[in-house]
Amino acid sequence: MTSTMILHSIGVPARPEGDRSHLGRLAVFALALALVAAMALSVTTGASGASALNLIGAWLGFVPADDAALLRDSAVILNIRMPRMVLGVLIGSGLAVSGLLMQGLFRNPLADPGLVGVSSGSALGAIVIIVLGGTALAPFTSALGIWALPAAAFCGGLVITTILYRVATRGGQTAIATMLLAGIAIGALAGAFSGLLTYVASDNQLRDLTFWGMGSLAGANWIKVAAAGPIIICALAAAAFLARGLNAMTLGEATASHLGVPVQRFKRLTILSVAAATGASVAVSGGIGFVGIVVPHLLRLVIGPDHRYLLPASALLGATFLLLCDALSRTIVAPAELPIGIVTAAFGGPFFLWILLHRRSAFAW
Amino acid sequence: MITIDKLEVAVNGRTILQDVSLEAPAGQLTAIVGPNGSGKSTLLKALCRDYAYSGKISLDGRDIASMTPMELSVLRAVLPQSSNLPFPFTVREVVAMGLTAGRPGVARQHLQTLPDEALARVDLTGFGGRFYGELSGGEQQRVQLARVLCQVWQPVVEGVPRYLFLDEPVSSLDIKHQLMIMDVAQRFARSGGGVIAVLHDLNLTALYADAIIALRKGKVVARGRPEAVLTDKVLETVFDVPLRVGIAPQKGSFVLPHSVRAGAASEVA
Repeated sequence: MTSTMILHSIGVPARPEGDRSHLGRLAVFALALALVAAMALSVTTGASGASALNLIGAWLGFVPADDAALLRDSAVILNIRMPRMVLGVLIGSGLAVSGLLMQGLFRNPLADPGLVGVSSGSALGAIVIIVLGGTALAPFTSALGIWALPAAAFCGGLVITTILYRVATRGGQTAIATMLLAGIAIGALAGAFSGLLTYVASDNQLRDLTFWGMGSLAGANWIKVAAAGPIIICALAAAAFLARGLNAMTLGEATASHLGVPVQRFKRLTILSVAAATGASVAVSGGIGFVGIVVPHLLRLVIGPDHRYLLPASALLGATFLLLCDALSRTIVAPAELPIGIVTAAFGGPFFLWILLHRRSAFAW
Repeated sequence: MITIDKLEVAVNGRTILQDVSLEAPAGQLTAIVGPNGSGKSTLLKALCRDYAYSGKISLDGRDIASMTPMELSVLRAVLPQSSNLPFPFTVREVVAMGLTAGRPGVARQHLQTLPDEALARVDLTGFGGRFYGELSGGEQQRVQLARVLCQVWQPVVEGVPRYLFLDEPVSSLDIKHQLMIMDVAQRFARSGGGVIAVLHDLNLTALYADAIIALRKGKVVARGRPEAVLTDKVLETVFDVPLRVGIAPQKGSFVLPHSVRAGAASEVA
């Protein structure tokens, strides 16, 4: 109330009470700036000490362009850090938006692709390609090229999301306990199949699998960007049309339909977007957890649950969060690096517990 | 005019409504009454297309089965029995969701103030900044009504009437707000819109309804003007309990529960 009065006294027009759209707009603007800063940080830091400033200087003609150190630096920045940064932005926003979409679809703040098995499904799809791509599924992998892995991960995620929705939702209502338990069961099942495939994998494949399974942006290159990027961008673009429907869905499926939302089509598009964004992310970076739950939840605390602002803000904060975690994972044990999944889990695990304690009464299990 | 022709609804294989035919014209408040389990809410849900049905329901001559959710949302708004929200929306944000369809029938510049006007109409001025989840059940119900009113703010747009479907709109309200909400519904009907309300309180029904439809075991057992339906004989058939209808000095009829058993009456005396 007081802040409203102060704002009013300095000439900011009075806003109706309970209207938080100004916070939403402010957050989107501030987060866009934050993302730019994080992108700059991501390109300028790293184990090699390559200087992005020198590179820019060379482009502008201040530093001689034939310097050997500069050539090395430019290779590091253009072929290692840049694709890694772009991939971080894509995956961070993809995972955060997937989480948000699932929470809206399930009308449940605890839904997250990692927690309820969607990521496990995507991982299974990816493992199938990693292990069998050269033999049994060779026609599939040769036909789809670099997109075979994300496509398989997308299919895995799609199957899991659909099964989960069918199992956990009755008459448009999702029981939280049912959803989480179904997620555990489905995730375990996907894990079992993944384990089976691991068993038959060769030593080389096994190394790939282990490294990839921990979740990491290391090994990012432009090919991975080209494989996952278009899919994630499509999912984000589709999500942009879902904001009003997600708001209406919080009132329940029936009411959303009364408000004019074509509920069946809406749900299909939401599930497809979740599977696409999660699948593509998992395919190129393994299981990076908790982004989808931490980011939307934090934002909801600040700007409220209006999806018209929550969607773009989640995409921006998800990207920023992942870039910062990645910067941390690269520098904390330099010159080695931690898999980024460990960093996000270190933030996300306690955060998830905090949500549980903080909002236990609201869930009424 | 809402026309229902030979409606039949089965939920999980059990027939809930059978051979229901009726009409509810615009400009009137039509009350649906009946005992628990008589199919009142099911009838309303079929009208909203929440349940699959056989038979035909049309809205001003158009079969609702062939209309899109968006087309329907412009013509009718639905107040559910209760709504809980999984996320912490403010009251104003919930009311503004009534504008999802985007065609309340007011000028564009009016949209910004509409939620607050709707809140004023349900006696919740100043509640816009409160969190929906922190309100009492009765207050939440009024917030939902404000949201529904936003959706069809003008009862008639370009000569086309719009409808309000209310499922027990006053079930958790105190007497003052019961009367206030029924006033809002009546005013909507008097301005040319149509209202269909499931009501439990026969006195409110007597006071406000222009027409009554009485259901029992999934069938229409009486329909017509209040004087015709609210009679001792009809009510006893519908509710399976002896009831006596009296005439209030100023306005309409009122219904008093008559002795079910001789003993009960003497205890009261």
